[in-house]
Amino acid sequence: MDNDIKNLEARFNEDIKNAVTAQDIEFLRVRYLGRKSSLNDLFAGIVSLNKEEKARAGRNLNILKQKITSCLDEKLKGSQSSEEKFDLTFPASSGDKGSLHILSRVNQEICAIFERLGFDIIEGAEIEDEWHNFTALNFPGDHPSRDAFDTFYLNIPPVDPEKGKHLLRCHTSPSQIRVMEENKPPLAVISPGRVYRPDEVDATHSFMFHQIEGFAVDREINFSHLKGVLFYFAREFFSGDARLRFRPHFFPFTEPSAEVDVSCFKCSGNVRGEKKCSVCKGKGWLEILGCGMIHPHVLEFCGIDSSKYQGFAFGMGVERPAMLKYGIDDIRLFTENDVKFLEQF
Amino acid sequence: MRFSLNFIKELFPIEMPPQELVQVLTMAGMEVEHYEQAGDDWIFDIEVTTNRYDWLSLVGIAGEIAACTHKKFNLPHVELIKKPLIRDRKIVIENISDCPFYIARIVRDVKVSDSSAGLAQKVAHCGINSISNAVDITNYCMLKWGNPLHAFDLDKIEGNVYIRRAKTGEKFIGIDEKERVLSGENLVIADDRKAIALAGVIGGKNTEVDKNTKNIFLEAAIFSPVVVRRSRRAVGLDTDSSYRFERMVHPDCLECASQEASDLIGQLCAGAFSGYQQAGKKPLVKRQAVRIDIAHMNRYLGEEFSPVKLKNILANLGFSTTKESAGNISLLAPALRLDIKREVDVYEEFSRIYGYNNIKTKIPFLISPEKRVLKTGPLGRFYAFKNELRVFIASLGLKEIITYSLESGEELLRLGEKDPLPLSNPMRSQENVLRPSLLPGMIKAMRHNLNRSQTKLRFFETANIYQRADNGFREAGALSLAASGSHEDFFYLKRATQEIFIFLNRPQLEFKEAELNNFTNALQVYADGKPAGFLGKLDEKIRKEFDLKENLYFAQFDLNTLLDLRRDKTYKPFSPYPAVWRDISILAQNKIKFSGVEKAVKGVGRELCSYKVVDIYRGKNIPPDCAAFTLRVFYQAADRTLTSEEVDSSHQLLRDTLSKINGITLR
Repeated sequence: MDNDIKNLEARFNEDIKNAVTAQDIEFLRVRYLGRKSSLNDLFAGIVSLNKEEKARAGRNLNILKQKITSCLDEKLKGSQSSEEKFDLTFPASSGDKGSLHILSRVNQEICAIFERLGFDIIEGAEIEDEWHNFTALNFPGDHPSRDAFDTFYLNIPPVDPEKGKHLLRCHTSPSQIRVMEENKPPLAVISPGRVYRPDEVDATHSFMFHQIEGFAVDREINFSHLKGVLFYFAREFFSGDARLRFRPHFFPFTEPSAEVDVSCFKCSGNVRGEKKCSVCKGKGWLEILGCGMIHPHVLEFCGIDSSKYQGFAFGMGVERPAMLKYGIDDIRLFTENDVKFLEQF
Repeated sequence: MRFSLNFIKELFPIEMPPQELVQVLTMAGMEVEHYEQAGDDWIFDIEVTTNRYDWLSLVGIAGEIAACTHKKFNLPHVELIKKPLIRDRKIVIENISDCPFYIARIVRDVKVSDSSAGLAQKVAHCGINSISNAVDITNYCMLKWGNPLHAFDLDKIEGNVYIRRAKTGEKFIGIDEKERVLSGENLVIADDRKAIALAGVIGGKNTEVDKNTKNIFLEAAIFSPVVVRRSRRAVGLDTDSSYRFERMVHPDCLECASQEASDLIGQLCAGAFSGYQQAGKKPLVKRQAVRIDIAHMNRYLGEEFSPVKLKNILANLGFSTTKESAGNISLLAPALRLDIKREVDVYEEFSRIYGYNNIKTKIPFLISPEKRVLKTGPLGRFYAFKNELRVFIASLGLKEIITYSLESGEELLRLGEKDPLPLSNPMRSQENVLRPSLLPGMIKAMRHNLNRSQTKLRFFETANIYQRADNGFREAGALSLAASGSHEDFFYLKRATQEIFIFLNRPQLEFKEAELNNFTNALQVYADGKPAGFLGKLDEKIRKEFDLKENLYFAQFDLNTLLDLRRDKTYKPFSPYPAVWRDISILAQNKIKFSGVEKAVKGVGRELCSYKVVDIYRGKNIPPDCAAFTLRVFYQAADRTLTSEEVDSSHQLLRDTLSKINGITLR
């Protein structure tokens, strides 16, 4: 028995020298301390010894067991790594990534810019009547000024015949009328939403698109405020050094009226060489919206005293700025909803 | 409107280089869309807004160029000759409101031939094809004065001239050689026998001036803009003439145009003026008087302007000052500007010449306590709610889509929608009604992607839907969710629904089985006893009909109901003591619904805090009409650590309850 113990110790001392990794050490732990180990066999053999031998063998075996245990523990602490290596170059796991539609995102971004200036956001209905879509906005009946605002009419009887036929609003301006009819100034409102016009669908046209209307009415709201608000918007939305250009224009519902161009955010109007800028086509300016001081007739149609109150209004599309800003070259991509498009934003 | 710079120079000297002029005009509101050099001439193409009928004449454009270059333009003077009168023909206006004023001049013994190169080029540079000297002269005068003129071959007119409505079914062939069938919508010029022109729109073939024409009957008139508009729409035509009449013509220019054309026909076609006649009454045009308050203007535009600058600009525009006192100026509008009616029109005139871009830029202070009512009202809250909800749903892993509100009525019929709101003027049958549900758009978006090898799609949309209602119609915001795939994707959608109600702080929602149109397998969703929407599996028949490569699971909710249901969140304390779980393996016959198991689970008591199904198995070793699943049940108390005896006793209660259900075996 004494020899057996010595041999076992010698074998262990030899094996432990060659053990390097944590795995090797665990292997030795099982081999020397496990249930089927020689050490356990020797412990089991004690029973057959006489009393004196029994005591000595038990003591020696316990000493050896402790030695082996501490030796293995010691070695394990010093071992190079206790972690198993695995293949980290495997592909990442896949999962559903949700997203907001880019038009929603742009819409929210634009609305948020105006919210910071103190505008409230109110959405209007898409089914409107002639009164709110045209008459109250100072469009004379049967006049060429309505030509630029081609409209889908609904084939249903009017709810209020005085307000005319029902139609799908062709701009978000009816929201302006609705808010002004029901609320007293001061007002500062942004109204985003879908609008409809009978246009053939192609790369830049659709019969359904989005607009954002904005207006403010109070005693002292003036044209220079309109300029300031739009300038703030352009700098926030397009770029920190954007410039604006106000070109006089005509809208029945504003006077004075203007169309607004923003300096091209790609080329800033700097024509370099022969190649025309792909964004502004070499013009240096991008038309982005229409605006003006709300025509006194419009205020009066809404029951607001135009001798006391004045205000500005503006309206812009959402698709166009989104296309310009993100380099989207076909408006149909917005409603096709191809995952390869949706997941980019 | 296209015009030639050389033509303008006949009326007004221009020193500014064309390139610079383009900029100046554009920035004052006359947008030059295109310009090009043509020999020694420059051709400008401008956008004419509907208020500026005066820009449809060279005299109007010259006035604008003058004002923009800080000069003043005076209308050329034309000597009007109104004698001798035409005695052998009468001009009869049937209804003075269709045609308030009509002038005719007769020029005899003309020689109609090709125009001189100069005249031909002049009209061509303004975008009108040269026809013959006589016709070019009428076009030249139209371009110059803005009033369309028409030359008839006098010898082809039989008897008197009438301005009357067309008879229903009356046929008319225009100088474009097309035959049109007219109606009472059309105003015509006619002689004793036939219509000879579609008034204000196009002349008739039967009285056209040609190379054999000897005598000319020259028409100048004012036709009602609305009548011309309806008439040309009725026959589907839009001409240089109708374009101008619709936008208004000026009676003073009318007389000049008629006189000058008659003079030129005399000179260039070797003819002699032989008679004048008029019918109706020349509308009295008074220059509009407008009084402006300089202080108000400054407050309106946002800046103190120099009164000297103001007066100079207005004078160059053709305004005359009639009175000036204590900050007020009384003005008469420029002679040709019938669109200027009140003070704001003057503000625009001044500011556009002053330069919008020279006006200061300021930020107003827009926040006031009164206005907060809007933000906190139902409409103000709706937008913010929709935005939050969208962001939340995207965080669940669904992609937002945007689909058309207009649908094909025929396609909706296949979905059982018999009575959507129809358009009266659709462009195509694909988009002729308003959709009453978000399903058709979702089907299209899904199909597009499934056909492009995508699978397991998860989409959502928030948009309005439109339905008939007692008082006409109802337009309301809706939310749709959808997942494509198989059986388990229904439960994905069910979970998304639960998450949305947790987001609304209304986790106690109720699902009731229902059979809905297109959805034989569906759950109605109730919260607070109110129906909020549904979710279901699109029927196989519809799936095939719409050619979807995967099953579609679809849910739709009413956004206003969701907004009403929403409650503010408050923190709910949770137990710090450990939860213990126990599994139960259940063999259930297929006729057993899980809702039965759920009921038993809920009956155990509040220490049973949650449960889930961790494993479902059908197939080998399981009877064919059964499913095996493992229910993992969690026990937890709010105030202490549960002892294993407590857990065991609750769990035994659950096992006992479950084992009493007919069709369930515990394993």
